[in-house]
Amino acid sequence: MTDEAPVETGSTTARGEPPVLDQAFDGDSLYPLRAAVAAHGSQAGLSEGRTRDLVLAVHELAANAVRHGAGQGRLRLWATPDGVRCEVSDDGADGDGPDAEAADAALWHVEPGHGLWLVRRIADGVSVQSDPSGTIAAVSFRLSAPGPTAPPRR
Amino acid sequence: MAVGADAQITDLTADDHACLTFGEPEELFDLTAAFVRDGLACGLKVVWVSDSAPQRATSELARRGIAVESALAAGQLAAAECEGRLLSGQEFDAGRAMEWLTRQMAACQQEGFPGLRVAVDMGWALRPVTGVEQLPDFEEGVAAALAGTAVSVLCQYDREGFDPVTLATVSAFHTRSVAAATYYADAMLRICRQYAPPGIRLAGEIDYRYTEPLALALTEAIRFEGDITVNMTALTFIDGSCARMIVDAARGLAASRAVALHCHPGIAATFVLLGAGDMAGVSLVSTHDR
Repeated sequence: MTDEAPVETGSTTARGEPPVLDQAFDGDSLYPLRAAVAAHGSQAGLSEGRTRDLVLAVHELAANAVRHGAGQGRLRLWATPDGVRCEVSDDGADGDGPDAEAADAALWHVEPGHGLWLVRRIADGVSVQSDPSGTIAAVSFRLSAPGPTAPPRR
Repeated sequence: MAVGADAQITDLTADDHACLTFGEPEELFDLTAAFVRDGLACGLKVVWVSDSAPQRATSELARRGIAVESALAAGQLAAAECEGRLLSGQEFDAGRAMEWLTRQMAACQQEGFPGLRVAVDMGWALRPVTGVEQLPDFEEGVAAALAGTAVSVLCQYDREGFDPVTLATVSAFHTRSVAAATYYADAMLRICRQYAPPGIRLAGEIDYRYTEPLALALTEAIRFEGDITVNMTALTFIDGSCARMIVDAARGLAASRAVALHCHPGIAATFVLLGAGDMAGVSLVSTHDR
């Protein structure tokens, strides 16, 4: 397993296709968000373990948007021929200026054990695009990929 | 914290007539195991009249670290069902039930034990049993019989099953009310102390919004001596923040204290990612292994 998942550029796999799930979220709606993602991951054919990984990855991105970004965001999920692709978008930190910049840095800072680090460890593809209007983080999970989930040993 | 006026199961002493309320079987078995464990450790005789089959009751105790086989063989522990003790042909008679308890107290003395602990699951009273209206009479009788003795009785009530009026009526006859220390509880998440083996128990889904009660629960568990179990067998989701907090707490403990993380393989995978699989003194116990 590589330390970091390959980074995709753009959302080419998603272009043109309407998402099968398009859900707004804030700090109080992460539970229904996880439930919806689990249902769609399973429906798309991901294994139980990879569906759990997908739920964890989306939760971590959404939690980042809630805690360090605008406090709310939007999740879109596509079922692609080879798996699932999710985009978590966030309109950026409240207000402008240096605070917004600092919040943006906190949002995408990769620290071992923390949100984005975990996402990079479990997703098959991760991309982050940031501009003044906000940030879009995308993750993909392939149907055939074994992923890092393995049963623990005692 | 949310313990309120409730006593801890580990605080009970001789001649206590305690009223335990529980919300789920896991909680009942955990608290009963602590009651049995502490009684056996003091050399007392322990009797559990359970609502489940005696074999299930003893296997639940064994699963929580009680040396059931040797205690049963030595006559120090007895597990029984309520029929033939509290009930006779699915009929309850407060007088006959009191006679049973009095015989237990006399037998215990004859056998040379310094005292007796009796746990009684009142689940039978939720079924259509004749004479159930005598339940308060029985509780009153127990209270009178225990005063000044070396006998304690733990009456166990399912707080979801019994109506508040019945609970209020019977609790008045008890010297203490006992419940699991609960740090957080709502429809989605429950964080409480685990008594046997000691540690904490998480059920439901937990994420960064609940790091505060989780930190309190971990801090209190660490304050006690000995190994710690984090029971996550009923946990269906944990996010990075909470998993990291548990891993950091485990890492911070002295090497002499073992930490066991009990969870489903899916939850265990997150702990493996965070390095818990290779940490000295930390064991990941998959519930599928049980």
